[in-house]
Amino acid sequence: MRAKNKLTGKENASARTAGEYDFVLTVVTVLLVLFGVVMVYSASSYNAAVNYGNKYFYMFKQLVGAILGFAAMIALSVIDYHVLAKLRYIILGVSVLLLVLVFIPGVGVESYGARRWINLPFFTMQASEIAKFGFIIFAAAYMAKYHKKMTTFKGILPVLGVGLLICVLIILEPNMSITICVVLLMFAMLFIGGARIKHFLIIAVPAVAMIPILILAEPYRLKRMLAFIDPWASPLGEGYQLIQSFYSLGSGGLFGLGLFNSRQKYLFLPFSESDFIFSIIGEELGLVGCALVMFAYILLIARAVRIAQNSTDRLGCYLASGIACIIAIQVLVNIAVVTGSIPPTGLPLPFVSAGSSSLIVFCGSVGILQSIGRRSHVGARFVKDIRRTR
Amino acid sequence: MNDSAASTVTTRKRLLVFLIAITFLFCALLGRLAYLQLIKGKDLQVRAAEQWYRDLPLKAPRGKITDRNGEILADNRDVYSIYVRPNAVKNPEAVASALAGPLNLVYEKLLEKITSSRVSEITVKRAVEKEVAESIRAQNLDGIYFTLDSKRYYPASNYLAQILGFTNIDNAGQSGLEGYYDTYLKGTDGFAYTATDIKGHELENNVTKYVPAIAGCNLSLSLDLNIQAFAETAVSQAMAEHSAKGASMIVMDCNTGGILAMASAPGFDLNEPPRDDIHLLNALGKNKMIVDVYEPGSTFKIFTTATAIENGAVNGNDRFYCNGSRLVDGQKIKCWRSIGHGSQDLGEGVKNSCNCVFMDLALRLGTDKLYEGLRTFGFGSKTNIDFYGESKGLMMAQSAVKNVDLARIGFGQAVAVTPLQLVTAVSAAINGGTLYEPYFVSGATDYTGKTVYVRQPKVVRQTISAQTSEMLRNMLEKVVSEGGGHKAGVAGYRVGGKTGTAQKYENGHIAQGKYVSSFVGFAPVENPRYVVAMIVDEPGGYAYYGSLVAAPYAGEVFAKIFDYAAIKPSQTPEQAEQTEMPDTIGMTAQEAAERLKACGLLFESAGEGEHVVSSVPIPGTRVVKGDVVLIRTE
Repeated sequence: MRAKNKLTGKENASARTAGEYDFVLTVVTVLLVLFGVVMVYSASSYNAAVNYGNKYFYMFKQLVGAILGFAAMIALSVIDYHVLAKLRYIILGVSVLLLVLVFIPGVGVESYGARRWINLPFFTMQASEIAKFGFIIFAAAYMAKYHKKMTTFKGILPVLGVGLLICVLIILEPNMSITICVVLLMFAMLFIGGARIKHFLIIAVPAVAMIPILILAEPYRLKRMLAFIDPWASPLGEGYQLIQSFYSLGSGGLFGLGLFNSRQKYLFLPFSESDFIFSIIGEELGLVGCALVMFAYILLIARAVRIAQNSTDRLGCYLASGIACIIAIQVLVNIAVVTGSIPPTGLPLPFVSAGSSSLIVFCGSVGILQSIGRRSHVGARFVKDIRRTR
Repeated sequence: MNDSAASTVTTRKRLLVFLIAITFLFCALLGRLAYLQLIKGKDLQVRAAEQWYRDLPLKAPRGKITDRNGEILADNRDVYSIYVRPNAVKNPEAVASALAGPLNLVYEKLLEKITSSRVSEITVKRAVEKEVAESIRAQNLDGIYFTLDSKRYYPASNYLAQILGFTNIDNAGQSGLEGYYDTYLKGTDGFAYTATDIKGHELENNVTKYVPAIAGCNLSLSLDLNIQAFAETAVSQAMAEHSAKGASMIVMDCNTGGILAMASAPGFDLNEPPRDDIHLLNALGKNKMIVDVYEPGSTFKIFTTATAIENGAVNGNDRFYCNGSRLVDGQKIKCWRSIGHGSQDLGEGVKNSCNCVFMDLALRLGTDKLYEGLRTFGFGSKTNIDFYGESKGLMMAQSAVKNVDLARIGFGQAVAVTPLQLVTAVSAAINGGTLYEPYFVSGATDYTGKTVYVRQPKVVRQTISAQTSEMLRNMLEKVVSEGGGHKAGVAGYRVGGKTGTAQKYENGHIAQGKYVSSFVGFAPVENPRYVVAMIVDEPGGYAYYGSLVAAPYAGEVFAKIFDYAAIKPSQTPEQAEQTEMPDTIGMTAQEAAERLKACGLLFESAGEGEHVVSSVPIPGTRVVKGDVVLIRTE
């Protein structure tokens, strides 16, 4: 495929690294990841000591994930992001293949009644984490190439089709939460890509119609819905996890019990090191700590949006937007679950929750953001930015 | 660049919308967090703390119960609870045999429990005596654990069984004063709070916090253990000597309402209540003197007399004639002495306990006045003693009382009272007329020794005037000095009282041969303090008269009390004139009566026959002049 010129539009000069390296983005990312390692240690040390005889068990895994993540971040910031666009079909193919592999016994690992992981020599990888980014790359590349068609319904169909395929494979695992994330991601990217609002309404109707079907397909989802409405109705059943999360947050108050002083981590709060790590943050560091962490995420998202706006080409813009979207969606959904604002669903907090796949992929995505930022020559497109740059 | 300008603007706009929306959602979630962490925070933390700590209760020692002199009636004793943790047992056979013998358990069952039980801890036995537990501990076997516990201990063992009551294995008061005053006695358990994980394992950095237990309050009773001992002896003897179904005694301080002694036989050892037989325990544990009612018989005449005097229905010069019965509304109601008492004044009527006199008084008063008088003395309502399950007695509905009933009530039939009501009312009748609320507990002190409760004598009401009360005292003194209560007398002391003999009812009919013999008396007459009621339930044999069965024990108790309380005799004891029991066997009842009167003896007779067939005591026995003897006719 000789697509480079088409993909990059008129900005051939983008191969040069004229834009600046975003230090704020790097600093915030590294701080979040290191903070995550500390919090994973705090939240998991007791559980790890009881179950694995080593209180550093999860922390070491997270540390390895962080190192690999930083490596991926540096590598992807050096690699020209246009290469990713060129490889979009391969990346998409690998993503789909991984999602299929999950179902093959021996390769896929079953845990908590779901097949989400692939067994690798050193760690298990969550296929859907790769797929999310496979989708972003595909969608960004497609929308950049056919941006003029985005206002037609036909034009958005390929994005919808690929999104739907990924969603179906993920929901079969089953993994409701990542599915919802991909759906939201798809909508967000199409929105930024310029799709018409009325087309959203057309696709929103079947999507909304799917919700009750998906809920009825698995009885536990209905129970979770009810538990969300009134967790105290089944404090030892479906409502248990949410109540324990409330206990964590409530115990934290304004300033928290102090780092490492969580009481809920003594096996009371399940998944305290992964999906519910934000509750432990709330318990140990209080509302102030929570607000700071949330501020870090907003900063991160704002930097990504800035990179998208400053990008010299549409590919960079859509890629950066997609990354901004997936970070924003996962953070919001995770915190909403932990605070009982939406029905409970398991989703890691980007950069912080225990889980190498997620950590590496998110770090890698920050690398892509840097790659885009470095390759935009700021000031060419937006007058107001001229003053800020050299 | 130009061809995409429009869509670039759209992208820029939409990115901005996206950023604003995200920021808004973040703010919304921050608000939600603030709500959970700041507003609901304390409440959630309190709930969370409940699961963070394991609280081991530290048992509060139960308060002691003492008599008025500080003698301990209920105390605590250290005992052990013995547990086995099967996981920790190394030699199950040795453990089973070490425990089975001393604890009276079956070896095989115990061994099976230890080897096949899946629970982490087996409670082998609770409340094991200290020496037994220590001998087991000395064997140093792995897997056996001991915890210190406390068990209620009653130094006076079988005294006051129905009054003190008992506690359950958890030391909670179940009956009697232990139950009624449980709130005072039980204290407040302390806690040892241990920080644990969800499975209850203690955390590494745990510092166990102790909230010490607060011992229960000590109760001090109005009871006197010495007088109680006199009463306990009296009831045991009475039961044994008369083959009775039961015997009870109450001693009350008539100037306060305080119970000085309350004893009932048969009883049981409070340290070993028959828990295995719940019916037996209920029967023996019931305080019949407060809970049960009986037909008082002649002792009730005191109140008919009091009410009549108080209402002016009789005066000292009135004469009554007894020919052995009265005809009331066409129904013949007999006096106990079928040959009659002839002409008597009120005092002689009381002394002779002549039913006709009291029928006349009741009929003179009428139902309304008699009932009003009886109610004033507290009949028909609870005395409000500090004890559970009190009965208020039985009185016919006032509107249903016919003259026949009224006449019977006058001499203590067709009415039922509790022994406590009787004692309380007699106290009022002879103390100058003041009705006091009876009570057991006179005070409570907390664990620091501070007094938390003091019982002042509670006056319920004035029943009769002081003059009426004095008249009653004098008449009742004559019953003891010259009448049927003679055996309750103590030489040198002025004792008053009244005997009573009532037939028992079973299923609404008179039960043949079943009687309740009673005596209620007071002393000293010149300055009354002690009121004693003695009731013998179903005495065996022919001697069922209160004068013979109940009065002597009251007399013995009075004598012991005078000695114990160092009350000086108020009169020089006359040299008791002795005589010999004449041989009346074979005589007609009339002849025997004249013969006994000539010897200076009073008598009761059993049977409706013509001729005397036996006497108590047997002819030739030395008896004191003025005593009451028994002749049986067939």
